[in-house]
Amino acid sequence: MSADTDPFALFDLPRRHAASRDAIEQRYLELSRAAHPDNVVGDGTAARRAAVERASAVNAAYRVLRDPVLRAEALVKLGGIDLDSTDPERGAPHPTQAFLLEMIDLRERLEDGGPDGVAALRDDVEARCDAALDAAVEALDAGEVRRAAEHLVARRYFQRFLDETDSSAP
Amino acid sequence: MAYSNKVIDHYEHPRNVGSLDKGDQSVGTGIVGAPACGDVMKLQIKVENGVITDAKFKTYGCGSAIASSSLVTEWVKGMSVDQAMQIKNSQIAEELSLPPVKIHCSVLAEDAIKAAIRDFQQKQGAAPAAEGEPQH
Repeated sequence: MSADTDPFALFDLPRRHAASRDAIEQRYLELSRAAHPDNVVGDGTAARRAAVERASAVNAAYRVLRDPVLRAEALVKLGGIDLDSTDPERGAPHPTQAFLLEMIDLRERLEDGGPDGVAALRDDVEARCDAALDAAVEALDAGEVRRAAEHLVARRYFQRFLDETDSSAP
Repeated sequence: MAYSNKVIDHYEHPRNVGSLDKGDQSVGTGIVGAPACGDVMKLQIKVENGVITDAKFKTYGCGSAIASSSLVTEWVKGMSVDQAMQIKNSQIAEELSLPPVKIHCSVLAEDAIKAAIRDFQQKQGAAPAAEGEPQH
């Protein structure tokens, strides 16, 4: 993975999930200023285009680094597992049947539950969604990329459920 | 991205939504998920004398995933188990005119029907029919 697609390298930050918010913000300002088309030395469209591309890469990396979930997913990707891929080796690990059954069961409870039931269910899943991220970060810190990926996949299922409850809310 | 009319039709009027009794010996249940997006699909078949007499699904996912599973439940009714095992995701994608970014939804539906058949066969104590890995 090159510096273009490794946000940590682009921002000159260690590949760790724990990141100083201040450091990210400061690096973002520096890099944005350097890449600003007005500060491009030399003229010609090539130099200008390169600056625009650089600024866009800086923005993309910033978006990933400042978001704890995207930051964790990026670290997993740097570790060789792409959660957006369905490749059996390098793609997102498949959850267990029991987990999928539970995801169906949650939806059925959502359909059956009254407003109070929905709110309780939502709180419960929100807590599990957060816990899944914490578990993923812990696995990343321990250097266990696959385990981190499994937790992040679970988190995506929980997130999906929460998105659904949001969109069905009155 | 525009959905095809067939996808919209299945999405707005999904066929065979519901559940069959999971504990019934003649019912096979397949549950599959798409880890990248969090979609879940449950597809169930009821088999009598080697023929699929009923099929139900519940899919929590995008329109294409719902349409793919709805279409499969329509197709498999009246099919033999062996015929249903032959359903390919490419047929589903073609019928629904799925764009390339939504092909994985048809793969999910193929995986679901195969999982349901395997579950049924296991209940019968028969060895699962030989088949290759689903094409991704």
